[in-house]
Amino acid sequence: MRHGARKMLEKLQDVQMRLQDKPQLLRRGRLISDTVLLRVDGDEFYLHFDKGALATITPGPSKKIPYQFGLSTDAEALAAFWTPTPPPGFHDIFAMAKIGRLEFSGDILRLVKNLMFFKEVLLLGREGAA
Amino acid sequence: MSIEPITGRYLNVQVAGRAQRIYVEEAGQGCPVLCLHTAGSDTRQWRHILNDAEITKTNRIITFDMPWHGKSLPPEGFHDEEYLLTTETYMATVLAVIDGLGLDRPVLAGVSMGGRIALQLARHHGDRFAGFLAIEASDFQPAWYDIDWFHRPDAHGGEMGAALVSTNISPHAPLAERWNTLWMFMSSGPGVFRGDLSFYTRDDSLVGNLGDIDTAKTPVHFIVGAYDFTCTPDDARRTADAIPGATLAVMDEVGHFPMSEHPAAFRSFFVDGLARMPSD
Repeated sequence: MRHGARKMLEKLQDVQMRLQDKPQLLRRGRLISDTVLLRVDGDEFYLHFDKGALATITPGPSKKIPYQFGLSTDAEALAAFWTPTPPPGFHDIFAMAKIGRLEFSGDILRLVKNLMFFKEVLLLGREGAA
Repeated sequence: MSIEPITGRYLNVQVAGRAQRIYVEEAGQGCPVLCLHTAGSDTRQWRHILNDAEITKTNRIITFDMPWHGKSLPPEGFHDEEYLLTTETYMATVLAVIDGLGLDRPVLAGVSMGGRIALQLARHHGDRFAGFLAIEASDFQPAWYDIDWFHRPDAHGGEMGAALVSTNISPHAPLAERWNTLWMFMSSGPGVFRGDLSFYTRDDSLVGNLGDIDTAKTPVHFIVGAYDFTCTPDDARRTADAIPGATLAVMDEVGHFPMSEHPAAFRSFFVDGLARMPSD
């Protein structure tokens, strides 16, 4: 695994641990048992949610793992997103999509139906997030 | 313990031939300033301006819940119809409130879809107003989402709408006000946000017609937040540039719901906007 991918995996594992300490967020996601593909600079990470918990993170590449929807971005954009007060455009995943730094794939309605949960999970990686 | 100076009453008026019971809040005295909420929300967005003693010392700040929103009920028979706001009904509602309250040429301060209708009223009924504050406002914004997402039986439209609009809240906004702002979307009635967005994302009748607005008689001042990705500063600037004499200010640390999400950062821009309006 290349260095950038290893650092990203560590970051996602940190998000995974923080989510375990968020009972209200886990409750919000209690009906969500989906796999989400996060692609960063081409490196793939399959996030397997089980009743709201981020149960496992499987690094890719893989052509065999089914997923409900995917987010594809770059490490620089994601690093900006995770700063305490990102500049305009990097403060939200939909804003990142609008400025062309993130793309959605798969069942976007599945994402939108549970958008607050997935947004809050990703925000756990932001510096200063409790 | 404290009691806020805001008072609320209900105005019963006819709008386009239908009886409407409209909830109105106000505070202060002096120059009347009628404030319009965004799509999918209600008067609570204006709570900080209504509670600002310095502003209400010389301004009568008034705001109302559009029919179907907040404490204004939908009209009789709503159960058997699809709510789709139109430019004509929206303008008629604002004018009916002005007539019902007996307001003489108020300043109109509208945010988002309220800013859009402020521009329509500036074009069609400018003589009824002293001036316009077009906040997070533009001539037209096509939807980059499917408005039908927000009214469906298998998901909570309010929570989905809140999650979507959170895109437009600044990370500089205090956390408590961010969530207060989202709560109003979460608690909107089923299909209401969708019906508002139908007006906001489908009616492009202002495009090419903004030159009709006479800012010599009624000034138009735009205020837009840098974190607004529904109506970006470029969208507001494009619109302001099409109105001879219109002015514009950009708020660096604010998004699409300035008066609600980040009242401290919005206040000076609102006060500056009011100062640009004629006072007689």
